[in-house]
Amino acid sequence: MTRRKGLVISDDQMRVLETVLDKLRRVTGGTLVALVSTSGQPICTSPSDSSSDTLSLAALTASSFAATRQLAEVLNEREFTLLFHEGKESNLHVVQVTERILLLITFGHDTQVGRVRLYTARALEVLKPVLETAENSQRDDAFLDGDYRREIGAAIDGLFSGSE
Amino acid sequence: MALINLAAREINYKIVYYGCGLCGKTTNIQYIYRRVNPAARGRLVSIATEEERTLYFDFLPLSLGTVKGLRTRFHLYTVPGQSFYNASRRLVLQGADGVVFVADSQISRLDENVDSYLNLWENLMSLGEDPSRLGMVLQLNKRDLTNIFSVTDLTELLNHTGSPVVEACALTGVGVFETLKTVCKQVIARSNES
Repeated sequence: MTRRKGLVISDDQMRVLETVLDKLRRVTGGTLVALVSTSGQPICTSPSDSSSDTLSLAALTASSFAATRQLAEVLNEREFTLLFHEGKESNLHVVQVTERILLLITFGHDTQVGRVRLYTARALEVLKPVLETAENSQRDDAFLDGDYRREIGAAIDGLFSGSE
Repeated sequence: MALINLAAREINYKIVYYGCGLCGKTTNIQYIYRRVNPAARGRLVSIATEEERTLYFDFLPLSLGTVKGLRTRFHLYTVPGQSFYNASRRLVLQGADGVVFVADSQISRLDENVDSYLNLWENLMSLGEDPSRLGMVLQLNKRDLTNIFSVTDLTELLNHTGSPVVEACALTGVGVFETLKTVCKQVIARSNES
């Protein structure tokens, strides 16, 4: 049994991802475009933002998509590869990019769903090979050295001091 | 699977609180949310039934700030404890870097604890996870109650890996942060080994 590899995105790969996400947001008129892992962690967003709401959105999107996959299984469907939620003010569209990565886009009613689906499909053609390469690359954890471990240990103690 | 974003200088770790129904997983997370520095915590998301039983999971992101130039976060999750929610438990467990197994110390909950512990290992194996790569902590909760097992007995039953053991009363917060600190440090240590 082997543990799955960690996902490590390099600077060059990230530049490509950011460019594609920015363009996708522009051409679709989307509010937020993000890549999230199926374990619920955000990888890259447009606009670039790491607010706590983005973290919640990533966690909920991943779990919602995971539930959808289970629904497919129950219905003897091979897979549901996209998820769409329609709201009064905004919509959420989620598609699977690789086995471990999802693309989500939020947009208002001034954008047509068909437009989002079309441009998302085109974006996937670029995103998929980049992310598959990232998934298969070896981890370079040189920066996770003893210093990092010591400093993070102190940071953990600091975060919780006074909380108990 | 720690998610490392070199370009954004970010590293995210996922920690899952596991255990049988009503053992105190959500109580742990709620206590952490109430007591931790508000600047370091994100929104607490709970997907629960009307009776406040966890239906899918609770989620709380914690930020450690920047350590050696890396923005470091811990994402805390709980699983639904009730036996019929196993599909949800497997989904939440996916990609975990650390697990806190919360045991209900009451003698009357022996079977539920053992079932849940076996279920944890079964799910880890089916997800292809190598448990030796995971940070693991056993929290013995509800130590304030009477009719409870001794620490030795519970450790023998629920800790075949020799993981750190923390006694707790999640309702009053005893041992909650000690558990969290211990699992965070374990996760970092395991991450360095991998």
